[in-house]
Amino acid sequence: MAHKKNRNVGIIGIGQTKHSSHREDVNQPELIHEAVSLALKDAKLTMKDIDCVVHGNMELFEMVHSPDLWHVLGTGAYGKDSIRITTGGTVGATLSCASDNLVASGMYDIVMAIGFEKLQEGHTTGGITNMACPLWFRKIQAGALTGSSAYDVEREFGLERANRASLMYRIIMDKHACLNPNAHRAFGLDFNQVDDLIRTSPKLVGELKLIEMCSQSDGACCVIYACEKKAKELSKTPVWIRDHITAHKEENFTIFGYDRKYPVLKTHKFAAEHLFQRNGIKDPLNYFDVFEMYDPATWWAIDWIRDFFNLQGDEHLKLIENKEIMIGGKMPINPSGGVIGSNPIGATALVRVAEAALQVRGNAGPHQIPTPVNHALASGFGGTMWTVMTMLEKELNW
Amino acid sequence: MAEYWGVKVEDIFNTMKERFRPEGAKDVDAVFGYDIADEGKWRLTVTNNTMLLEKTDTLAGCVSTMSADGETFVGVNTGKVDATNAFMSGKFKVEGDMGAFGKTGKLFRKFVIPKKEMTTKEYLADMFATIVPRFKAKEAEGLEASFGFDLGGPDGGKWTVFIKDKVCTVTTSIEGKPTVTLEFNDAKDYVDFILGKIDAQSILAAGKASAKGDINMMASKWPILFEKYKDPMAGAVQEQELLVLKKTISLNEKFSTGPIMGKFLKGLKDKKIFANKCPECGRLQLPPREVCAECRVRAGEMVEVGPKGEVRYMDIVYYAMPDPLTGVARETPYGSIFILFDGCKGNETLPHFIRKDQIEKIQMGWNEKKGTRVRPVWEENRIGDIWDIQYFEIDE
Repeated sequence: MAHKKNRNVGIIGIGQTKHSSHREDVNQPELIHEAVSLALKDAKLTMKDIDCVVHGNMELFEMVHSPDLWHVLGTGAYGKDSIRITTGGTVGATLSCASDNLVASGMYDIVMAIGFEKLQEGHTTGGITNMACPLWFRKIQAGALTGSSAYDVEREFGLERANRASLMYRIIMDKHACLNPNAHRAFGLDFNQVDDLIRTSPKLVGELKLIEMCSQSDGACCVIYACEKKAKELSKTPVWIRDHITAHKEENFTIFGYDRKYPVLKTHKFAAEHLFQRNGIKDPLNYFDVFEMYDPATWWAIDWIRDFFNLQGDEHLKLIENKEIMIGGKMPINPSGGVIGSNPIGATALVRVAEAALQVRGNAGPHQIPTPVNHALASGFGGTMWTVMTMLEKELNW
Repeated sequence: MAEYWGVKVEDIFNTMKERFRPEGAKDVDAVFGYDIADEGKWRLTVTNNTMLLEKTDTLAGCVSTMSADGETFVGVNTGKVDATNAFMSGKFKVEGDMGAFGKTGKLFRKFVIPKKEMTTKEYLADMFATIVPRFKAKEAEGLEASFGFDLGGPDGGKWTVFIKDKVCTVTTSIEGKPTVTLEFNDAKDYVDFILGKIDAQSILAAGKASAKGDINMMASKWPILFEKYKDPMAGAVQEQELLVLKKTISLNEKFSTGPIMGKFLKGLKDKKIFANKCPECGRLQLPPREVCAECRVRAGEMVEVGPKGEVRYMDIVYYAMPDPLTGVARETPYGSIFILFDGCKGNETLPHFIRKDQIEKIQMGWNEKKGTRVRPVWEENRIGDIWDIQYFEIDE
């Protein structure tokens, strides 16, 4: 059984800032306002039409407590029902889930979700380290970097194939980012740079190289959700939210035992299996037309493709090596350029939903997939391996 | 030698001596190489708070070498090219010891593009050369007019600007009878007037300039027909007030441990490592936590494990992440290890650090392969803190 909903919910407005490492020209409320204005314009609505505002970003990354108070003039929430959500890296996806639930429940007809981050402000590492248990782990943890996925993929597929797949994925993401005017990092990399970049890109942690890690961006994203009746009245192309799922695990990094007899709960695999099973989707790789995946680093990305689509052996590597994840391929992943291209963290997972919805609508811009997009998938990632997944549909026919 | 943004590659190197900061070279004793495509190679030796730069044919023996093309090198040094982007995309490469090269950032003051003075003659040439590009054709609908400029003095000259059928042309003489003619005794006053250094009223009042013909055409129409002249020497003028506020917060925090974590931390004080055991599934949790996450039951039984164990996984950290508790960057590289203590199984590992000089010797283990055996090195004065273990070292 999919999520029980009192009524269907559609996305009717989408707005995004240009993601960048240089937004000193605006303060936080002003940055948010850019995305809010664009979403309202996209939906042809004004703030008067919005019943509730759902605001979210990373807890304390900007070292501001209750930032929704400061941001109220930028969000338009003044005098309105407003809810603040913060669930780490998944927050953007959770904003979407919450907005969907608020509308589906019948509580509100039109809800606006706003995800934002200004990573150049405050202290990101301070924020992320504050996530760790203060009783002991905070002193040992160091930010969000680990080379463990690289180690795993290299051990399974050998150094050369693993590294080439990682850089191949990176360059495909860059080619996508070059088509997306909102992307933060768009270098213009080419496939002939694979070997050179493997050799010269500095290592951050273990085999994780600088070029393989996501950026730190400033940016905001705003998505407007409406009940079926309003969505049909207000929009020619509402994008329907079919289902979403969240999977958490305990806060500890107890995943490094490398004991095959004691499998670790992998939340991506767990969430995907449950989501597809309860929606009767047997072959997700064929069912979905696009996947906006939260890919904080290439190594995670290439490993996770296998988890999400329940692939066997090296099928996931072949998808990358044969460029099947490129726009025009069998399963285009991140036509937007992904998190590796732009990462305003509190907005990042909402950008996945927004970009997937744009693909369904068919007006994503230069990075629009040329073939029809009827079924889209978006994922969020955060915490110590937490997952949120969202399914979007063009037609109300499931 | 090619110029980029008016700067040659050699300009950057030739000014290194005067930009050198001995205070930034305190802990540096190394030879760095610079390999700039089509321009040459330079070797920089830094020792005893002094520097020596030489052009060279070979960069053998350098601790790290950076390579880039001339445009990227000049761009990064002048701030015209985003350094991170250039670095990540491989246009700006560093081979050898990355950490050592990072220290060159502190060695020099920023390179500043030298400002050249423009002469009155150069300004006049630029002002009239940019008239056509600054012309806004859509404002000239149905307009036919000509503007004469008669500018005296040693640098002066004559120009006429014609507007007809929404097209603007410029000649270097006064032709026919312009709709309006502006006369300046000294062309320098005209330049200052356009640059906004002096105002029209005071020039006219002082009799230094006059306008003949349809004065209104010059006073009201000209500013609409042409975009304002931009001083090429003015650089990037901030158009609005932008402030970046810098703040440092330092806070004292305290947290209650609760009895389960309390026992773990007290154990460290006594050189003992405690895990707790789930009464249902039997798995150990390390450090101990109040309930088993999988079975959702209280897990109060404490079990002593270790203190020796094997390394199951190690991250070698190269990136100098600042420690948010102190603000100080940890010294890199360091090894973050996950230890499977004797008495633990599966994924019941605990993270800590390995002795710095032993990183290279660590083997990671899995089912079929034993990882390197390690033991804790305890602090002399223990207070019940994870740092009561300084680090782990190989147990031989």
